[in-house]
Amino acid sequence: MVGFGLRRLLGAAILGLSGLSALVAPHAEAAPADILIGAVYPLSGPAAAIGHDAEIALETEAEIINGHHNVPMLLGQGGGLSALGGAKVKLVFADSQNNPQIARSEAQRLITEDHVVAIIGSYTSATAVTISQICDRYQVPYISAENSAPSLSQQGLTWFFRPSPTDINFTQAMFDFFAAIGKRTGRPVHSVAIIHENSVFGTDSARVQVSLAAKAGIKVLADISYQANSPSLSVEAERLRAANADVVMPSSYTSDAILLMRSMHDVGYQPKAILAQDAGFIDPAFIKAVGPLAEGVMSRSSFSIDATRTRPGITITNQLFKARDAGKDLNDLTAREVTALQVLADAIDRAKSTDNMALRAALRTTNIPGNETIMPWEGIKFDSTGQNIEGTPVILQYQHGAWHTIFPFDVATAPAIWNIGK
Amino acid sequence: MSLSLRPNAITKRRRRELLVGAVLLVLLALLPLPIGNVYLRGLIVLTLLYAGLAQGWNVLGGYCGQISLGHALYFGIGAYTSTILFTRFGIPPTLGLFVGSGLAALAALLVGWPSFRLSGHYYAIATLVIGLMAELLVQNWGFVNAAMGITIPFHAQSWLDLEFRVAVLPFHYVMLAYAAIAWIIAWLIEGSRWGFYWRAVKDDVEAAQSLAVRIFPSKMAAASISGAITGVGGALYAQYIGFIDPDSGFGLSLSVLIALPAVVGGVGTLWGPLIGAAVLIPLQQLSAAWLGGAGGGVDLMIYGALIVVLALARPQGLVSLFGVRSQAGGEVMDNG
Amino acid sequence: MSAALIAQVAIGGLLMGLVYALVAAGLSLIFGLMDVVNFAHGELLMLAMYATFVIHENTGLDPLLQLPLVAVILFGLGAAIYRGLISRALDVRFNTGMVQIFVTFGLSIFLVGAAQLAFGSDFRSINDGFLSNRTAAIGPVVLPLSQLAAGLVCLIAFAALVLMSRTEFGRALEATREDRDAVALIGIDRQRIFSIGWGIGAATVGIAGVMLTNFYYISPTVGSNFALIAYVTVALGGFGSLLGALVAGLVVGLAEALTALVIDPSLKQIGIFAIYVLVLTIRPRGLFGRL
Repeated sequence: MVGFGLRRLLGAAILGLSGLSALVAPHAEAAPADILIGAVYPLSGPAAAIGHDAEIALETEAEIINGHHNVPMLLGQGGGLSALGGAKVKLVFADSQNNPQIARSEAQRLITEDHVVAIIGSYTSATAVTISQICDRYQVPYISAENSAPSLSQQGLTWFFRPSPTDINFTQAMFDFFAAIGKRTGRPVHSVAIIHENSVFGTDSARVQVSLAAKAGIKVLADISYQANSPSLSVEAERLRAANADVVMPSSYTSDAILLMRSMHDVGYQPKAILAQDAGFIDPAFIKAVGPLAEGVMSRSSFSIDATRTRPGITITNQLFKARDAGKDLNDLTAREVTALQVLADAIDRAKSTDNMALRAALRTTNIPGNETIMPWEGIKFDSTGQNIEGTPVILQYQHGAWHTIFPFDVATAPAIWNIGK
Repeated sequence: MSLSLRPNAITKRRRRELLVGAVLLVLLALLPLPIGNVYLRGLIVLTLLYAGLAQGWNVLGGYCGQISLGHALYFGIGAYTSTILFTRFGIPPTLGLFVGSGLAALAALLVGWPSFRLSGHYYAIATLVIGLMAELLVQNWGFVNAAMGITIPFHAQSWLDLEFRVAVLPFHYVMLAYAAIAWIIAWLIEGSRWGFYWRAVKDDVEAAQSLAVRIFPSKMAAASISGAITGVGGALYAQYIGFIDPDSGFGLSLSVLIALPAVVGGVGTLWGPLIGAAVLIPLQQLSAAWLGGAGGGVDLMIYGALIVVLALARPQGLVSLFGVRSQAGGEVMDNG
Repeated sequence: MSAALIAQVAIGGLLMGLVYALVAAGLSLIFGLMDVVNFAHGELLMLAMYATFVIHENTGLDPLLQLPLVAVILFGLGAAIYRGLISRALDVRFNTGMVQIFVTFGLSIFLVGAAQLAFGSDFRSINDGFLSNRTAAIGPVVLPLSQLAAGLVCLIAFAALVLMSRTEFGRALEATREDRDAVALIGIDRQRIFSIGWGIGAATVGIAGVMLTNFYYISPTVGSNFALIAYVTVALGGFGSLLGALVAGLVVGLAEALTALVIDPSLKQIGIFAIYVLVLTIRPRGLFGRL
């Protein structure tokens, strides 16, 4: 059918960039077949920018694996997968349009037509649900790169693997930070105000925050749920002002994050501390939009770009990524996407085959030390539900025009600006 | 508009319609067999689903002239009811879908009661608002898992539960049956006294006003039938995809996609919804595969432009290309 | 919950309500004129916002100063849409009402796609305008200057619309609405009236859009949020009634703000919808509707 010919053409065009590495790779008449890996992301629609970044992140890691960049980390020396004769990884992308049904049928297409050995995805939880389900039915591994909703690893699936920490881990890190900074400065957190958008991300996040606050004996003075993409958040900002908690804890996507910061400023409210659940708050567009209002904002993150001392792989990886993505640095999302492919490639290498059973077995025995990756984690090791139990989040703070890691203290690159109790 | 009352003429045409329908049914039943491609089979399944949904919408929108932009309400009710009954109470969806469609029919009556006296555009907006309200409420309702949606995990292959691990073929026949039954219902309505009333009333505004009270009960009946058909579609969809959430169950784009095939294919006609679905659904699905990465927004532009062009160039629907004389030859919502 | 808080929220709601009222007025004007609901109304708002952004980026011109410029651009766009699409839609022989709905629907989808293609889906905003990030304090009530100005400008624009309706042109509009076919007999060029009507309708939403850029983000889908509220506002106020649009806009703005405060922010839209359903059940043509 003409349509599918066109699709293949487009796919080839998209992968044109990574064709460069084919020139560098050693020529062999009988080169081992490429290993096809599927990736399902929103490549059109409102989340297209995120999907586009994901594409580039994955292509960057593929280039590192296939090329000869000699990055000081696992599989960084390049040359393809040695256990399979130097076979190269090749990504096949599909557009989920952020629609769970289309995500599912695209994943199905990748599996049945392109015969990918595994699928990486997918940014949003709803698409992750359907993709992981269909992968499970076909017995093909699904690597969740950056879906953080805890419920995803609770579905009882056996082909689901998530290197990234979940919102439970992230929120736990936030409260660990509160305890630690309270002890260090003698000015602990007594109260928080939670504000969250009311879709999966926000609701899940807030729920965990409320329960962990209770455990830590911290008062929740407000728990505000708002409709994402509202025209106005001034009432919500008013309620936060009235609550006047020590820390405001937002879970918002970019546009709402921008609106919220502006609304709080407009109603004359300057929170003593803001600790965000990532997402919109670490989007460069957010920083650009709110300007000086972002100073001092903290966020949990899975990635520290300034950890180059303990994670030397970051430097070259970021360079390669920046070159492809108009000068953007790696961030929390793209770093995890790079790592997801790295984990998968490592498993394929250890399995010495692309057979799905062997691949799953290899994934299950994954044991990568943190310093072999670009992530500030202890390591990557999956439990029986496919969840990485060694992913340790960090807390970042935006100080003087850049994000700095402020917690855990042993990987911190700057002291926290802590205004509680002053 | 000529209302042929000669019994022979009506029966002959309607018999011909049945014959064409039967042939089409057989062809569609055989269609997936030579096609091994899973993706294509899935495409046909969705097309059949929307053919049924559009047919259901058409009962209210086409025959009765009430343009609803909130039909996702009934879809969502069917989908959620069946899914909750299955995942929480173990009731198989083949039974649950009846409960779902019953509730959807009820909802249609509740919506229709106050809104039918609104004229054209007012009615459209009212249905739009109600649909959005429903989505908002479901998004915030903990009992149905709010925004997170409900997953239907796979346990065992079963026709009763409509669970098939990866096979698409069984769903093809389920959706074909659904579309066929919806078509038959539309065919029956066309030949019924209600159909007669509605066609007479659509052309003649004064008749419409004076007969408004008389035809109100039949409109309510049309609403409930339309709602029920849509609800069944929702239940089947949820079972096919294995997941339902407020957006995929109640979203506005869903309401539009339910209405569009009938509009594009030909409102108030028997074949319009089928033709419209056959054109629009593959377009919508394949736009992801063809254009996804390459053009951010190009697919929407094409989609939007197509709707505009088709609405202007073929207001009586694509069905007119086939020389099928529109049974309901009059106007839908003539505001002149 | 202090009185100051309630006052602040209420005033904020009324200010937003004025913006909603202006957006609704444009919609109501077009409908009142020719029975066409413009489902692409939100996208006109979005285009106005992008126009403001682009002009600001390239010339540094403050949004406030762009008001007349963008209004003219949108006027031209509205008239062009009428000439190119709507007039054709009105001329079709079958299913005219339905065609109108779907022509503007298709247009809205097209415009969102075009914006995505042209500008990408990233959010844009104007941070360095004259009104950005400034607040005004009236006693304990703190109001963002941008929202205050938005409310004011929308009110002025509204007054202008009312004045216009009293002029001869306004009466011609009214006459055309009353009896589309007979006006030709008294020398009123229907096509010209309709084009101008669409132009004015688009220009009003353009003004609202310019004022919104001072405090709201810009993205291809920003129109849909406001459009929805506009439809409800128009239906609530009554199609074709300017006064209705104003009153309904204020009611909607207030209801939204108070629902968010008193009940739950995530349900604030339900407050609006509930009022809408209530009014429609009691009075189907809206508060001041005459159709």
